[in-house]
Amino acid sequence: MTDLRPAPEVDDQPAIPVPDATFGVCDWLRWAWRQLTSMRIALILLFLLALGSVPGSMLPQEGTNAAGVAQYYKSHPTLAPLLNHLGMFNVFGAPWFAAIYLLLFASLVGCVVPRTFKLAGSARTLPPRAPRNIGRLPHSATYATSLPPGPALEVSAGMLGGHGFRMRHSGDGERWISAEKGYLREAGNLLFHLSLLGILVSIALGGLFGYKADKLLVAGATFTDTQSDLDEIYPGRLVTDSDFAPFSIKLDSFSASYVQSGPQLGQPSAFNADVSYTTSPGAPVKTDDIQVNSPLSIDGAKVYLIGHGYAPIFKVTSASGQPEYNQAQPFIAGTSGDFLSQGVVKVPDATPEGLGFSGVFVPTAAVSPDGTLESVFPAAANPRVSLIAYGGNLGMNSGPTQSVYELDMAGLKQLAAQPHVLSQGQTWKLPDGKGSITFVGYQQWASFAITHDPGQLPALICGMGALGGLLLSFLVRRRRVFVRVAAAPSGSGSVVRFGGLARTDASGGFEAEFASLAAELRAAHEQQAPQQETGD
Amino acid sequence: MPVNLALGHVSTDFLIAALMIYSLAVLAFAGDFAFGRPKRGAEASRTQVRARAGALATVGASGSPSADSGTAGGGDASVPTSMPPVPLSPLRAIMAAGPWVRAGMALSSAGVLAHAIAVVTRGLAVHRAPWGNMYEFITALTCFAAIFFLWVMVRYRAWALGVFVMGAVVVILGLAETLIYTAAGTLVPALQSYWLSIHVTAMTVATGVFFVAAALGVIYLVVDRYNRRVAAGKAQGGNGIIARLPSLEQLDRLAYRTVVFGFPVWTFGVIAGAIWADEAWGRYWGWDPVETWAFITWVVYAAFLHARATAGWRGRRAHYVQILGFVTLAFNIMVVQVFITGMHSYAGVG
Ligand code: HEM
Repeated sequence: MTDLRPAPEVDDQPAIPVPDATFGVCDWLRWAWRQLTSMRIALILLFLLALGSVPGSMLPQEGTNAAGVAQYYKSHPTLAPLLNHLGMFNVFGAPWFAAIYLLLFASLVGCVVPRTFKLAGSARTLPPRAPRNIGRLPHSATYATSLPPGPALEVSAGMLGGHGFRMRHSGDGERWISAEKGYLREAGNLLFHLSLLGILVSIALGGLFGYKADKLLVAGATFTDTQSDLDEIYPGRLVTDSDFAPFSIKLDSFSASYVQSGPQLGQPSAFNADVSYTTSPGAPVKTDDIQVNSPLSIDGAKVYLIGHGYAPIFKVTSASGQPEYNQAQPFIAGTSGDFLSQGVVKVPDATPEGLGFSGVFVPTAAVSPDGTLESVFPAAANPRVSLIAYGGNLGMNSGPTQSVYELDMAGLKQLAAQPHVLSQGQTWKLPDGKGSITFVGYQQWASFAITHDPGQLPALICGMGALGGLLLSFLVRRRRVFVRVAAAPSGSGSVVRFGGLARTDASGGFEAEFASLAAELRAAHEQQAPQQETGD
Repeated sequence: MPVNLALGHVSTDFLIAALMIYSLAVLAFAGDFAFGRPKRGAEASRTQVRARAGALATVGASGSPSADSGTAGGGDASVPTSMPPVPLSPLRAIMAAGPWVRAGMALSSAGVLAHAIAVVTRGLAVHRAPWGNMYEFITALTCFAAIFFLWVMVRYRAWALGVFVMGAVVVILGLAETLIYTAAGTLVPALQSYWLSIHVTAMTVATGVFFVAAALGVIYLVVDRYNRRVAAGKAQGGNGIIARLPSLEQLDRLAYRTVVFGFPVWTFGVIAGAIWADEAWGRYWGWDPVETWAFITWVVYAAFLHARATAGWRGRRAHYVQILGFVTLAFNIMVVQVFITGMHSYAGVG
């Protein structure tokens, strides 16, 4: 019996020949391609993709958590190099992961492109002939009408055509109609799979032509979007200087608000970075309030607020009373949320010797029972700093560039045994007349991520395409219905047999549709029937 | 705006009420199993009614379901007429299903109402979408699961599944209530975005739907195992509970359609999450652990949909895949979001 169901599944394709001794290179290639594009391999590749992602979430990854990777090396000294060798700390950039998704997409193309041609073909060829025994179909109806067979068939064609079915009519000898509808389902399936491919291409586009950079700004400071002015830059492979938009941004002020009472005490409730910016040198100045969920878009780039903290202001004078240093220095908070922050102050030109301080900034200080300084609230209600002073050579004129958050201890000697605590406005006279340091006050700083991703919009469009395709392929059902009309045994009127089936009925409902089509068909026949019939 | 604590308490009270009403509903569905008329089991779903009508259509002998062929235009009266049955209205179907089912459906509906009120008042108390931490998330997802499952039961007349699915809802909700109750509160800035409402709403709805699918999948596997044991002579046929459940084919279709409903919602939720991540963090996808697991779940459900079109993977194996999908989802909620540090400052547990 011929298969009446619409659109063959991939499985119904001819079996893949088993390789044997007669196979040449071409045969092998063809065999490999057929294997790759089979549904079974697609399934296996999907599983591999899911499985391969797991270590990427369980182990720290270089791109997002470099500190975690370093920590892992410390705690698992033998295992870590092995895992690194396998790309386990950079799973989503590893060659084996790329192999999985590239094979999957090759399989997808090999599977979906032929289907496109088949779809185009089947939209032009007619549905199959109506089966002889319509009652065997999953859905069927039988009834008699007083209309003669010819007109009954015509009424059926009118009704099915009105519903947008594509029809095939029998030749002269027989009386049947096959009708089919729902080609959009396959189109939706195609759109879905091709959109997935589009998303992959968009991601690649962003990786090649986009960039991401970070910048930390103390309130009052300005930066321009150039490679030299940004703190850290992660450019795509094909990014050049001219891809950076020539804007500049000044952080006018930053404020953070916190929950003041209750069980969520100290949880942040709002962050606002008020900025003024120009899109290019000389352009008019505009202002904006950048918040966590509301980045600033300038010229194809976006500026996000990603972090904040305190920058205590220190004034340092040399032994002679000569002011050497007077500025805000960003301190970095740990992850605990209390904004106990650490940082260093470097005064290499102080006399008689260079001075360095490593310090802790505490926004709302309290002294714990064991005498240590604690932070009890993230806002700066009672700020204190605790400093350790060093004297000597800071090593800033030689060697590699230093981090502004660390001291190079090689040439330094601790000046006082104990850390010294200062509140705002207080001065610490260093031992042996080495000078003094004053805790003048504090500024807030905010850090920004600047990103430019040309693949973003295409990815969004493809995402929407995928969703639309999915909905089409789930909501539209590909279905066929058949009508056969025969003369009634009594000789007057005819018998109508109506049947139908759906290939895939993902969201259900073909039964109800068939029932209503059948009722409508019958009503159409009764309406057209000769009225005198009961009077006979 | 400050949190409205009084309204927060109202929400909690309604939730406890919902939990108790649900428990009674589960008892009623269990009562149907124990004491209901077994005969009805054979007609548990419309599909079977249809199959019977289909048989009539082919045999065509024993009288027609709609013998109205004598009217004007009716034609030859000797021709047996068979028309596909027009389904009973949902309410009449419930009334026809017996007192236990009636009680179970009434209680489930009352429970869903109380549950929905609990979710809505929680939202009004905190002035935002009421799924901002794990406790709220589970409360909301079970609410969506219950609503969706009520609809499935009515649409497919699948009363026999009530005791299992509503039972699972009661267990999860009860655990959430006792283990991770979190008082009403405000959100950290990263979660203050309308994309939160959109993204987490979609994820919550999809999780509720997948939950139902997984429950159906487990029932499928139980029935399948029983059938195979009977076929192998290792078990006695005619088990009363199995006989009342929908057939394997019906369970399969029900679970498939449930996943088909959930998958686009999940896809949309992941896309909305990517848009939100782009607004908040400056990249739409960053392989954050929670994102990674949402992706894994998506891929596993895609594998389920493929499995159904692959020879040798239909049926039992496909349902293992589907249940695995829900396991990855649950793992994301219960392990990844709680124990693995990432950027999703979400769980708010402990
Ligand atoms: C990136 C990986 C893939 C994903 C996420 C994916 C996802 C999906 C989803 C969700 C469906 C269900 C939609 C529907 O039933 O219309 C589907 C169907 C389908 N996919 Fe894929 N797919 C992928 C790759 C592939 C590949 C590699 C092939 C070919 C070997 C393929 C062939 C098919 C076919 C033929 C269907 C229709 C099945 C049916 O008629 O029921 N897909 N896919």
